[in-house]
Amino acid sequence: MRIFVATLRKLVRRPASFVTLGLLIGLLALILIAVSAAASQPGASPQERQGLLLVTFPGAYTIILSFILGLGGLFAVIYGAAVAGSEWTWGTLKSAVARGESRSRYQLLSFAAIALMIGMGMLIAFAVGIAVAVVGANIAGVSTAGIGDSETLGTLPELLGKGWLAIVEEGALGFAIATLARSQLAGIGAGIAFFFGEQFAALFLPDVVKYLPFNAANAIVTTPGEGGFSGGGGGGPEVASLAPDQALLVVLAWLVGSILVATLFTERAEISG
Amino acid sequence: MTTDGLALATRGLVKRYGTRPALAGLDLSVPSGVVYGFLGPNGAGKTTTMRLLTGLIHPDAGSIEVLGRPFGRGDRHRLFEVGALIESPSFYPYLSGLENLRALAATGAPTPRGRIEELLELVGLRERARDKVQTYSLGMKQRLGIAAALLGDPRLLLLDEPANGLDPAGIVAMRETLRHLASTGKTVFVSSHVLGEIQQLADVIGIIASGLLVREGPIEQLLQGEGEVRVRVAAEELEPARTALAALVPDGGVTQSGDDDGWLTVRIDAARAAEVNRTLAGAGIYASGIEAGSDLESLFLELTRGESVGHEGTFFGVAGGSR
Repeated sequence: MRIFVATLRKLVRRPASFVTLGLLIGLLALILIAVSAAASQPGASPQERQGLLLVTFPGAYTIILSFILGLGGLFAVIYGAAVAGSEWTWGTLKSAVARGESRSRYQLLSFAAIALMIGMGMLIAFAVGIAVAVVGANIAGVSTAGIGDSETLGTLPELLGKGWLAIVEEGALGFAIATLARSQLAGIGAGIAFFFGEQFAALFLPDVVKYLPFNAANAIVTTPGEGGFSGGGGGGPEVASLAPDQALLVVLAWLVGSILVATLFTERAEISG
Repeated sequence: MTTDGLALATRGLVKRYGTRPALAGLDLSVPSGVVYGFLGPNGAGKTTTMRLLTGLIHPDAGSIEVLGRPFGRGDRHRLFEVGALIESPSFYPYLSGLENLRALAATGAPTPRGRIEELLELVGLRERARDKVQTYSLGMKQRLGIAAALLGDPRLLLLDEPANGLDPAGIVAMRETLRHLASTGKTVFVSSHVLGEIQQLADVIGIIASGLLVREGPIEQLLQGEGEVRVRVAAEELEPARTALAALVPDGGVTQSGDDDGWLTVRIDAARAAEVNRTLAGAGIYASGIEAGSDLESLFLELTRGESVGHEGTFFGVAGGSR
């Protein structure tokens, strides 16, 4: 528990926490406002008008969360990699192990703190996204009556819970990659490559890609055929998504697998530097 | 071999990186309550030894005993009584010194309340405790590293080049602190290649070369007979002086300076300088200069010269007999 609390304190002070969250919120707000502004122009095309779905409640709830999981997935993988990799790069894992700390416990509790931070970041981004969507709706002259839709609001906790699981899985992937790379920079680089690699792989392996971590994470909150806002990599090819329940299992498998790999590797690693 | 009364012992410790042996059967015996100087040239295996002693890496063969009990995989609790500073101090640059110590205190054995403030005072960082570590100088990071090593009030302290980056006042303060710790019964194991510092600090030394211990023992005992006396005589008296002094030491114990400046070096206990002078006087030769010393450097260079430890290669680029 001491390690969990100490890691939380470290993460709260860490510039990467604010920069990552700030970038995600900034991009989200920019897109929502831009789409709303474009759609509200008198000569807007039907395609541009379709962008108003982003700020039309209650559907906006799911779309905004889907966006956070899409682009946020990239940030989560970078964040997980940055935190795990810096432990090796700065030698702070070495100091903990030399004090007799259990390597597995240190990694697991550190990741638990990262998961909590990611969850808080997701909630903050979601709340800001909703607020910006309301502003966007007003700009575009779209009614916000659906914001209080009780049926949608009733499903929000479950959606957010699944969303948290999905984005934590993406963070875990970065955590594992950076641990294997034993480096902050290499971990971030490999994490980004994995993210875009998955988008690219959809061209050749459409049936396989849906089982990969980022696609599965998006499928958790996106109903098949709905499309959502999963294009974190931007404009990737259409991939048949998994059903949400199936996606949940796949996400859990990636999450547990990533943490196991990171923990086992750390347990057996020769720590130097 | 018994390891009773030892704070730290290794027996036949072997570690290889790929096919390259870093340690080739290291036998260390570190008595309790002393400052132990662990010396060796670059690449001799000092840091590998430190990593093994703190469980960062694991040996391919051999055993380690820490504070009288076996230490291996799964014995991490043994490190609760050990403090370590391995290689460069490791901290989160965006946190302050105080926050870094708090973060580290959350690992391993619980740290007593008030200990962090006490240590910051001890290492002279109280005023800068709330500044980010990234603004610290190398010496300040080193002092913070020493404070981190002392967090758990350890019985055994393992320090890798602790004087690195410290200013002269800092070095003196560190020396006094480490001597004080040893006087309270704690064992301080200091790895270094700053020989002068170790000579002033250590009670016992171990010298490692090519992954093997080549000499170990109380420093005064090791330096006895390892000293030298240098005498200067007139150029025309060099040969008679050499012949006279040869009677005092074994073959090859008297060497002439390559500069042909009249200096002869006699490998003899520095305490016998008067005897050297008397021998010269007995031969009717009067020295115009005489110097005596028994320094660790001579011993170190002699022992770590490649051929003298039975391994290929040289250390510090020292070839032949030049100093």
